[in-house]
Amino acid sequence: MSAAEKTENWPGRRIAFKSFAADLARRRAELGITDADLPRNSGARRTASKKALLKAIKDAGGNW
Amino acid sequence: MPPYRPEFTAALEIFAQICDAMATRGFTRPVLVGGAAVEFYSMGFITTGDFDLCFPAQDALEEEFQRYGFIRPSGPGRATRGWVHPDLGLGFEIVGDVPLDGTVTRDHIALVEDFENGPPFAIISVEDLIADRMGQYASGTAREMLMQAQTLLRLHPDADMDYLERRVRHETGGDFGADDVRS
Repeated sequence: MSAAEKTENWPGRRIAFKSFAADLARRRAELGITDADLPRNSGARRTASKKALLKAIKDAGGNW
Repeated sequence: MPPYRPEFTAALEIFAQICDAMATRGFTRPVLVGGAAVEFYSMGFITTGDFDLCFPAQDALEEEFQRYGFIRPSGPGRATRGWVHPDLGLGFEIVGDVPLDGTVTRDHIALVEDFENGPPFAIISVEDLIADRMGQYASGTAREMLMQAQTLLRLHPDADMDYLERRVRHETGGDFGADDVRS
């Protein structure tokens, strides 16, 4: 059975990406939501593993 | 073209391909959780390049990471459970077998289809994501999570409020409910 066939029996919600993204962009605009409404994680709870991973991403040139 | 960051879209494409590879091998799809899921549901600039996943067969998934060119950093001060792609500046970390310590059933995991003409991928539901943010907020160590939760709910007014109420109560030890998320 292929991976595509298995999704036919997916038990949860399905999100059709293109219409989802268009609706989300429209709603953001209607509500005037900016990135100020979505603060990034403070980092206070980061594990040592997470800190090391983020450093490795930065060292690899990750520009996020 | 949806207004997601190009690097975020590119990362999701790789994640979707890895999901598909795992499904082809007979596994369930890994589930995207955490900040990358917030970015997906908000179009906000949340992630810092690390994508958190849940998947029960860690060894098999790590084989797939290696096939896609990811490496695990090692050495003093570099030990991590995560995997980094040295050319893409992107990392994945398996943070658990299942989302939120098993409190999320499979029928509450969402499947994203028609993504950039690639294969589908699995993601935590927006309700469970909000509940997770509220749980972190309730712990007292992540006050910014309340605003994330509130913004997510504003962006998704069609959320299942009964389910959200149950999940927020559970994740916050009963201290908060869905009404506390409404801003």
